[in-house]
Amino acid sequence: MSSKVGMGRESGRLKDADKKKVLDTATRNRRARRALESLEMDNYQQDPHADIVLNKKAPKFLDTIEAKGGRRKKEKSAEYYKQKFRRTFEQLIEADQFINRDPPNYNTIEAPSSNFPRRIFCAVCGFRSSYTCTTCGARYCCISCLGTHQATRCLKWAV
Amino acid sequence: MNTKSYILDNGAYTAKVGHTDDETPKIIPNYIMKAKSERRRTFIGDQLSECRDKSGLYFMLGFQKGYLLNWDIQKTVWDYIFSKDCCKANFLEMPLIVTEPYFNFSSIQEGMTEMFFEEYEFQALLRTNAGNLSCYHYHHDKPSTKCCLVVETGYSFTHIVPYILQKKFKPGMLRINVGGKILTNHLKEVISYRQLHVMEETYVMNQCKEDLCFMSTDFDRDHKIAKMKWPKNTIVRDYVLPDYTTVNRGIIRTLDETSVSRTIDKDQQVLRMNNERFTIPEILFYPNDIGIPQMGISEAIILSINLCPEETRPHLYNNIIVTGGNGCFPGFEERLTKEVRALAPDEFDVSVTVPENPITYAWHGGNLLSKDPDFFSLVVTKEEYDEEGFSACHRFDV
Repeated sequence: MSSKVGMGRESGRLKDADKKKVLDTATRNRRARRALESLEMDNYQQDPHADIVLNKKAPKFLDTIEAKGGRRKKEKSAEYYKQKFRRTFEQLIEADQFINRDPPNYNTIEAPSSNFPRRIFCAVCGFRSSYTCTTCGARYCCISCLGTHQATRCLKWAV
Repeated sequence: MNTKSYILDNGAYTAKVGHTDDETPKIIPNYIMKAKSERRRTFIGDQLSECRDKSGLYFMLGFQKGYLLNWDIQKTVWDYIFSKDCCKANFLEMPLIVTEPYFNFSSIQEGMTEMFFEEYEFQALLRTNAGNLSCYHYHHDKPSTKCCLVVETGYSFTHIVPYILQKKFKPGMLRINVGGKILTNHLKEVISYRQLHVMEETYVMNQCKEDLCFMSTDFDRDHKIAKMKWPKNTIVRDYVLPDYTTVNRGIIRTLDETSVSRTIDKDQQVLRMNNERFTIPEILFYPNDIGIPQMGISEAIILSINLCPEETRPHLYNNIIVTGGNGCFPGFEERLTKEVRALAPDEFDVSVTVPENPITYAWHGGNLLSKDPDFFSLVVTKEEYDEEGFSACHRFDV
């Protein structure tokens, strides 16, 4: 009897807690940022025509679109304008900071953060949630949603 | 001079085009699409109607983040729009009214001006913001109003713009980086996680959003309803995805109808839309819901009005006008009225208008403007441009 007590049983929960991986703030922020960036994408998939190699014999289907108007001077191609005005969004913002230095400008009219507290929703089912995943910080509302979350997004297949 | 003008409300997602004497504009997709099924061609603007299988459409847009960046795409689409196949423009006889985003970058303005005068050779040009045209339209309908607040919520972003005596008041302007594109992408993301992989079906899911999403007028009540089981849950609907053989556009069904048809057609792919129907548009009012660190429309309206001179505030609260595609969500007007009413000081009357068609509202404003006796004092003619170059365009109120 007494020997059993002396062995001292370990708590399974505490033992697991030591092994548990917890994502640090930097990773959580990076995940959140990636999720927002992906919302800006025009397409998820690759260009479906990317593998088409045009050869000279292939008929040009766009020919009929151009109006044949006799008087018109020689039109510049779309490619010409692409090259001529080519700027990235970042370049435009940078140039704008020199041209429109005084507010209001593109940067200053951005609406500031809200004064209301953030509303919390379950990352799995979308209803209101009360609990936070201790590993990654995602929200969940019930045990079954937590199970789904852990089996999918928590650490596996995460963006 | 010919009084017939060409009006092009050049949105990032759709262009609204027509002449002065047209009753309504044509709404043309302002992009080029590639289809998996049709490998020999692309589809420009509304040529998409010639595409039989619209699954997995690949979008190529001229606009990025709301600004014109891909000129080759935009030129191709404009060439098509101005051609006789779409909405013919007699460049040499017509002034052009064209819209551009707020705080458009000056190199883009130069590029547009050069293209319209040198490439297309319009005889006169008026570059303006869609909001200016909406304000003109609003003022035309209610001539006694002194101020109005234009909420322009489109594909790329949402702008809150106070207009005082028909001039935009720049210090009161605000931009929320939420538009229809983010809503569709978020819907795609949510559905792909919860039900079926639809990440490649932007076109179909955008239709699904347009068909089924609505602006909740009582968020907590709708959450409670959505948690219940059919038939007490009056929100849940099934959306039959198009397969482009028997179904060409998604079909909305109640769960009763689904249980009947399931036995008939087992191959149909069906999405179940429940809380997705109202939590998606909700992002416009609470961008924070998906972690965008910005205030939503109603809060931004209060802030914007508080940045305006005190004597204009009662007028602004009483003349809020919503334009742009997101205004089409059912319940938008009621929800916005409710929220602004709750946040505004109680001595002000609050009135929010969502016009019958918020998408074409600005175009109709442009149409009315082209009939204005003072219209020709606003434009820059080709002679002036040839003489002075781009500096002639500084008179534009953009």
